[in-house]
Amino acid sequence: MAGQYTREVAYRIFAQEFRDSNLSFKDSNDQYSPQYLLTPTGAKVNRMLIVGTLTEKEDIGNEAEYWRARVVDPTGAFLIYAGQYQPEAAQVMANIEAPQYLAVVGKPSTFQTEDGTILTSVRPESIHIVDAQTRDRWVVETTQRTLERVKDLNSDNPDAVRAKEHYNTDSSVYRQMALAALESLNTE
Amino acid sequence: MNKEIAKEIEERFSQKGYNIPISEIESRLDKLLNEFKVPQEEARRSVVNYFLKEYNIPRGDFFVQQGETPTVKVSDITSDGNWINISAKVVQLWDDTHESIDQAGLMGDETGTIKFNKWAKAELPALEEGKTYLFKNVVTDSYQERLQINFNRTSQIEEITEDIEVNTQQAEAPTVKVSEITTEGKWINISVKVAQLWDSTHESIDQAGLMGDETGTIKFIKWAKAELPSLVEGKSYLLKNVVTDSFQERFQINFNRTSLIEEITEDIEIGTLTVEFSGAMVDIQSGSGLIKRCPECNRALIKGVCGEHGKVEGSYDLRIKAVMDDGVCVQDSLLNREISEQLTGITLDEAKQMATEALDQSVVLEMFKEKLLGKYYLVKGPKLDRSILVEDISLLPPLELDQIDTIIAQMEV
Repeated sequence: MAGQYTREVAYRIFAQEFRDSNLSFKDSNDQYSPQYLLTPTGAKVNRMLIVGTLTEKEDIGNEAEYWRARVVDPTGAFLIYAGQYQPEAAQVMANIEAPQYLAVVGKPSTFQTEDGTILTSVRPESIHIVDAQTRDRWVVETTQRTLERVKDLNSDNPDAVRAKEHYNTDSSVYRQMALAALESLNTE
Repeated sequence: MNKEIAKEIEERFSQKGYNIPISEIESRLDKLLNEFKVPQEEARRSVVNYFLKEYNIPRGDFFVQQGETPTVKVSDITSDGNWINISAKVVQLWDDTHESIDQAGLMGDETGTIKFNKWAKAELPALEEGKTYLFKNVVTDSYQERLQINFNRTSQIEEITEDIEVNTQQAEAPTVKVSEITTEGKWINISVKVAQLWDSTHESIDQAGLMGDETGTIKFIKWAKAELPSLVEGKSYLLKNVVTDSFQERFQINFNRTSLIEEITEDIEIGTLTVEFSGAMVDIQSGSGLIKRCPECNRALIKGVCGEHGKVEGSYDLRIKAVMDDGVCVQDSLLNREISEQLTGITLDEAKQMATEALDQSVVLEMFKEKLLGKYYLVKGPKLDRSILVEDISLLPPLELDQIDTIIAQMEV
């Protein structure tokens, strides 16, 4: 039986907040324990759902295909990397052309550059073509979830406490970002 | 009423040669019943004990001398805590449920059957199924609201040659509805329809799944060793002598060897609490799409093999095990063939054809994923354990401009 296994929720994070994130950790030393990325508003992310516009894609692999793509939301861009270990996603990547609305379910991943900067990207579990209405829904939903987390920053939720400690989060920045993203739906 | 009780008590005392003024009995009884709201039986008991003490009467004088342990029939057993002798045939021996129990099972005579427990520390000879015995000095007991007989160290067992015709007509367990199941360990009768049979989880389990009536649904487990006939999905049954249980904080019904299954013609309508969930479909689990089911037990086959019946010629079905996610929680949702066909626009026949052309069953799942994933849906249906059994699924409609305005207004507050 499945026992007590529970699937990780797919968090809704805007690109700007994702780009600002740099705290990656595991809850235990066990090699199979899941990797999390803590965002400035206190989302403890092991999985995320992104719906945005594919604006660029490039095969940067040598022998095997290795796709790098930019998926854009109202606040910025997510970097998506799909190679041989994400065969389904890589196959979709190979067959689509930008621009295109995509829904990406994936895992956050971090990379440290030589000068110490931490870059975030997404390893996709699945990529699917969607339509504009799905993308609008996602923006509304991501605004709601972001504002909920911003509100929760003042609580004693341990993730919120840790996020504030690490990022010294200015909650008004993320609040304004989320609202601006929502308002962008009206002007398009 | 009080006067009658008082008179009764007075008479019993006088029969034993003790004369107690009836007024004293009455006033004492009255105080207990009216002033202190004591129930009648408690009041009677209290009054008797009071005068026994007051007049210094030895209890043995008053209460009927116990004398010989009475020899009774099964139907005479109506209360617990009585020492009895009984002649009965062992109808069934059950597998030990606990190491402290040496043997347990069902015995009976021409008036009915009753459960018995032979404690290991009683150190009594072993009983055999189908043999008749005279049991001396056994004790009636009640367990989970059912009477039973316990054997202990003072009990004696003698095999007798007389063969007793056992009346298996059992004392009826109460007939209940699913929503009335609120405690574990109760013997019940219940009429239900089998809503789902699940894939086998363990070899000791013959069948497991979900059944329900108009008040709700409940999980059931039919143990392999109960050796009961197979239940069929969609059929209604009257189940007798099943036991309520709880597992991981949910109630369930267990079948055992004394349970009876009768198919009934009435088609029971399953009623349930319907829940709604809206979110994005983020995954479709393996075992979805075009699948094959075992013709015997309806379980989904894995690589052509049924967990119970081995390699079988399965029959095709469509289903979708969808993972819905709203960014706060994950909701497993189960779509049966009808709902899957509606949602995808692909019928079972078309799915079979696709699989035949591709020489690969998995093309159907791939197509479902392509069509459905990443989009937002509202699902409705009864929730069972972790899954919603989807009865209705619809794509969330496009957001209207004024809807967005409203949301913005709400958010900015």
